[in-house]
Amino acid sequence: MASKQKNVTPEQQKYQQLQQKHEKQRPVLKNCIRAFFVGGLICVIGQAISYFYIYFFNFTEQNVGNPTVATMVFLSMILTGFGVYDRLGQFAGAGSAVPVTGFGNAVISAAIEHRTEGFVLGVGGNMFKLAGSVLLFGVFAAFVVALIRTLLSMWGVL
Amino acid sequence: MLNIYRAIIFMSCLFLLTACGVNQQTKDSQLTLMKTTNPTPFVTDHHKSNKLVKQIEKDVSSFPPIYDVAVVKGKKDTLVVYKVKHLHRFKMKKIEKDVTAKLEKKYPKENFTVSSDYKIFLETVRLNEKMQSKDISEKDAEKRFKEIVKLTKDMK
Amino acid sequence: MLKGHQSWVFENHPMITATGVTGGPFEANGNLAKDFDLLFEDLWIGQDSYEKAHRVLFEEAIKIALKKANIQKEQVQFLFAGDLINQITPSSFSARTMKIPYFGLFGACSTSMEGLALASFVVNHQGANFVLTGASSHNAAVEKQFRYPTEYGSQKPPTAQWTVTGAGVALVQKNNPSQKHPVITSATIGRVIDMGLSDPFNMGGAMAPAAADTIQAHFRDLGLEPSYYDLIITGDLGRIGHDTAFELINKSGLQLERRQFQDCGLLIYKEDQPVQSGASGAGCSATVLYGHLLNEMKKGKYQRILVVATGALLSPLTFQQNETIPCIAHAVAIEMID
Repeated sequence: MASKQKNVTPEQQKYQQLQQKHEKQRPVLKNCIRAFFVGGLICVIGQAISYFYIYFFNFTEQNVGNPTVATMVFLSMILTGFGVYDRLGQFAGAGSAVPVTGFGNAVISAAIEHRTEGFVLGVGGNMFKLAGSVLLFGVFAAFVVALIRTLLSMWGVL
Repeated sequence: MLNIYRAIIFMSCLFLLTACGVNQQTKDSQLTLMKTTNPTPFVTDHHKSNKLVKQIEKDVSSFPPIYDVAVVKGKKDTLVVYKVKHLHRFKMKKIEKDVTAKLEKKYPKENFTVSSDYKIFLETVRLNEKMQSKDISEKDAEKRFKEIVKLTKDMK
Repeated sequence: MLKGHQSWVFENHPMITATGVTGGPFEANGNLAKDFDLLFEDLWIGQDSYEKAHRVLFEEAIKIALKKANIQKEQVQFLFAGDLINQITPSSFSARTMKIPYFGLFGACSTSMEGLALASFVVNHQGANFVLTGASSHNAAVEKQFRYPTEYGSQKPPTAQWTVTGAGVALVQKNNPSQKHPVITSATIGRVIDMGLSDPFNMGGAMAPAAADTIQAHFRDLGLEPSYYDLIITGDLGRIGHDTAFELINKSGLQLERRQFQDCGLLIYKEDQPVQSGASGAGCSATVLYGHLLNEMKKGKYQRILVVATGALLSPLTFQQNETIPCIAHAVAIEMID
């Protein structure tokens, strides 16, 4: 924030102080508690689904993640389509945005939003409007970590 | 907003009900991932004594982070599966290494397959139950055992 | 006629003879549902895109206004209209359907009063007999452009506002003393004010100084006191901006009472609707003024009102480039004259 306010005149500064008095802050603690419970609930559902796959299908703990993630994303797709997920998001904040369901929601909501512009330019071009940066920086971060690890093991540290 | 509260309450009721509704007399295997089962170690070939596997179980149980152990001995392989206490799960790889090292040192003749995977544990318990109730012939048990070992190997 | 530095006085008293107000499903559940002429049950309004729905919303409002005034669209000389969508296409496309000579306006959420001031000026100086003016916004279409996709589950802060789905259109015509209608007596055109705020989720806070500046200019230019008006109503400042503006005005020395200072964005929805800080959007001040407020004036609740519509002149591009939000406000005075 500090960098944005480099060039404020005294008049602007005075107003901003006055405005701050009226501005409602985000209820951080309340949001954290809600995020904790809703995020936890989503993870419990995910755990239940992964147990389901372990019990009834031939998945081990190592590879049960794949079908579980697919199922969770599918569920969040359905909820997004029915217009429930954005309300959940308003309630839970990070609790519904951080789990993989939030990623599914980001992709699907953009796809729904832009389907009126056609399948190629609309859905295709905008689907990763929000999730694209997650993918890019996720892949980049993974690359950096892998690079560090490789170098460390080359030098015999690990 | 109200709807969301209602949905959350509904979900929690659902979870509570399903948890309480579970029949107490169900087989161990149905709940094996949620509670400590401690299945009796067994050997697929009933002519052999199960003294050895009992000893192995004791050895593995002596590791403090480990709390639930299942041991099965087939014709060639010996499968050791265990659960690790929650906070020690960060050191899973090290524990597995230690267990393998200890077992191989103590029983150099045996061919160990060590795993901490829930799936392997579950399948082991299921096989154990079938053996106890004699639902399965020895040949089939050995076959199933080999499948489980194969599944363990596939993961690595 | 120019008075003072930035105000017009309309000595010929152009009248608002008819209005058309349309709204969406969320407005139907709101506080002022009975003041809408037409409420749609569905955000799509039977169209295949939200932008088309936006256009239909505006076209229907025009048709209702014409029907109520009992005139043909060919009799209308000009249409002054605008909205929030890129290149104000919903308004322009409606003008294509209506075939009325058209001025496209953009003043963000202040478009309604910008249009009314210009329409009154044109009619006052014999530039036209009938002028239609209006503004519209559509929640989903505007959110799509300015924020995240509608279904995206992001948490809005308590300062955020809800874009109104609605269109308000007024027919302004030459004064006819035999008819009793609200007349437009003066207007003050605002300066663009930027107080260096850059949070697009706190538009009320950014727009409040513009509203305060225009209100002060209005009273200075016309030499009036705030007690002259029964009601001074801002467009879409929301809870935070409205409180801030009230404090700013009172600090400037004008004697403004709390009960005569209200906000369209706080009137339109009920307390329990999840709109955080209040309503916003070009359609907000247009629907509340042309629907609710004019009805109340006709009932005699208010004699003189001053409507100050505020607009945040930002685009999604400028706030991503970390620019601050410049804001504007236009004031129009409407009176019932016996």
